[in-house]
Amino acid sequence: MNSLIATYGRPLSALFLLLTALWAVGLIALPQAVMIERSLWVEERDTSVELRINALYSSLELKRFDLADAKSEARKTQVAEQIATLEAEIKTLEARESAPRKVYTLSNYTRMSSLHFTIFLKTIAYALCVTALSLMVCYPVAYAVAHLAPPTRAALMMLGLIVPYAINELLRVYAWLMILDYQGVVNTLLAWMGLVDFEARTWIPFLESSGSVFVAMVYTYILFMVFPIYNTLETLDHNQIEAGRDLGAPTWRIHQRIVIPHAKPGIAVGCLMTFMLSAGSYSVPQVITRGKAGDWFSQLIYRQFFESFNWNVGAAYSFTLLATCIGFIVLMMRLFKVGIRDIAK
Amino acid sequence: MTVAAALAHGKDVDLQGAAMRFGGFQAVAPTDLLIHAGEFFSILGPSGCGKTTILRMISGFLQPTDGRVLIGGQDMKGVGPNKRPTALIFQNLALFPLMSVWENVAFGLEARGVARGERKRRAQALLELVALGDQGDKRPSELSGGQRQRVAIARALAVEPAVLLLDEPLSALDLKLRQHMRAELRAIQRKIGITFVYITHDQGEALTMSDRIAVMNQGVIEQVDAADVLYNQPRTAFVATFVGEHNTVPGTLGATHDGVCRIDTPLGPLHALNPHALTPGSPALLFVRPERMRLLNGATKPPANAFEATLHRRDLEGAFLHLHLEAAGQSLVVHQTNTGTVPAPGTHRLGFEPDEARVLPPGALAHE
Repeated sequence: MNSLIATYGRPLSALFLLLTALWAVGLIALPQAVMIERSLWVEERDTSVELRINALYSSLELKRFDLADAKSEARKTQVAEQIATLEAEIKTLEARESAPRKVYTLSNYTRMSSLHFTIFLKTIAYALCVTALSLMVCYPVAYAVAHLAPPTRAALMMLGLIVPYAINELLRVYAWLMILDYQGVVNTLLAWMGLVDFEARTWIPFLESSGSVFVAMVYTYILFMVFPIYNTLETLDHNQIEAGRDLGAPTWRIHQRIVIPHAKPGIAVGCLMTFMLSAGSYSVPQVITRGKAGDWFSQLIYRQFFESFNWNVGAAYSFTLLATCIGFIVLMMRLFKVGIRDIAK
Repeated sequence: MTVAAALAHGKDVDLQGAAMRFGGFQAVAPTDLLIHAGEFFSILGPSGCGKTTILRMISGFLQPTDGRVLIGGQDMKGVGPNKRPTALIFQNLALFPLMSVWENVAFGLEARGVARGERKRRAQALLELVALGDQGDKRPSELSGGQRQRVAIARALAVEPAVLLLDEPLSALDLKLRQHMRAELRAIQRKIGITFVYITHDQGEALTMSDRIAVMNQGVIEQVDAADVLYNQPRTAFVATFVGEHNTVPGTLGATHDGVCRIDTPLGPLHALNPHALTPGSPALLFVRPERMRLLNGATKPPANAFEATLHRRDLEGAFLHLHLEAAGQSLVVHQTNTGTVPAPGTHRLGFEPDEARVLPPGALAHE
């Protein structure tokens, strides 16, 4: 704190602190707090009010007939008064209907149906699969770029990894759609080889399996796994690998005893990022499966918000997912024995 | 069972026309070199001369682009570093920071599938050999530089190599520790009797530890000899200037009688040994060590070579006096033992005997 002031002076330090506080409060704490608050109450609607309003509208119509039929002036005034009373009553009741009572409860968390709970569990399992797949793909790539390739080729490989990220995420997902579609690239190749027939619709329905979602997700989030691992592997002294080899260790043991222990913080960070991104991914399952393979939990949350218009349940669902992800982070950190400090590196 | 007895016997290393080319760059010219079993052999040269490349060819990290490498008479072609009877000590030691000291030492045994109890026992024996018996459970980062050095030695010895390759392992240590480790390395080598191939750019290290030394420059081994021969009878201009200090005087050769030739130099005609039997008229360089030249005072009989020079700087280095002189545009250095008197600046007569000086063909000089 003092060193901050000493380095940048009071006004600049104050500005930094203000911006940090704005960030922490406005972009992290407040939205989360609003969401948690919302997940903790329900709107209690009185169904009898609606019936009474309907009944009142019926008698209002009758009174209007009466008004039209009225012969004497006195009668007319009487009916008109009754109409006014009815209209006032309808107005209060309608006001009560449109402003339902707010009741604090945990029911948003406990009311999840068994179907939704199954989808939740499946999503966690899918996200773990994507994380494992990404790790299997990215570890060798990161190792090759950091230690095997000559510098120029390593730079080119890195560029090759980064370039797809200049393209919008949706377009990248659509690219996979084109590859895996019923009459997509892969099926066309198979048809050309005579293995499937478009006329007879014997194509392989890749998009109807979660596997295609995995593939697209691994591709979409690969950088978040590659970079942390690459960064830690790059700091590994190449002599250590050679020393291991010189001492007679086969390749797998060098990785087991020297490379992986060194890369552990990077592996942990990569796994965390990939897991959180894929558990919360909406666009990839939505675009790839088009509803033909089971929903992911993120799609359920979307529907709670924008199709059921039940923001309270939506908030509860998304908070459940967030809590699970945080639980996963803690578990991974325990498992890999890495601290917050290692990850911050 | 002593550790020394458990170690395999040393093997010889034989380079037969071994050469290394990286693209268009010839890192090591075709080289024939026989390193005897059980020998402490040094390869001395400036950085970038190709000495590390030779070491990597022996260890198996590089395959020679020409010729072959034999260890104990066996051709090592296609044999990887993990299968060779060699162990390499890296310049930065490359200890495994995440393992304890004993796990470091035992890594080679672990790689060979030795059971944990046996590994620990053998690691302990090796740690005792290098006087680190009580440090086994520490991390390498908790040790001092000299201790880490000894861990690296123990780790390499654990795999019972026939040839130990050392890549400037002392360069990271301070002078005191370096001198201490020289003696220690030599003692360990004597004790276990395996072949040591030691890479260094530090002539002091090479001269004090080695049985024989190869001096290397620009991918070529210029001379292989014992330390005293290398120092007293350098065969090339590079060796003469890289090992120890030398006064270098250019000149043209005259006639040779009984191995002593006349050479016409800016200092006048001088006489020196002509080991290469250079022919009269050829250009040559005359080399004479600073401690073999002396200031002449009238009393003693003057040597065959004598000339006048101007003394302009005197550095007292304790036991020695370094005198910087100039004669006919040539800078000369004379090292004298400090006898208590310092010569006054000005003109002095300077001389040396013909058998103290050598005439060699012109060639690359070492610039220090």
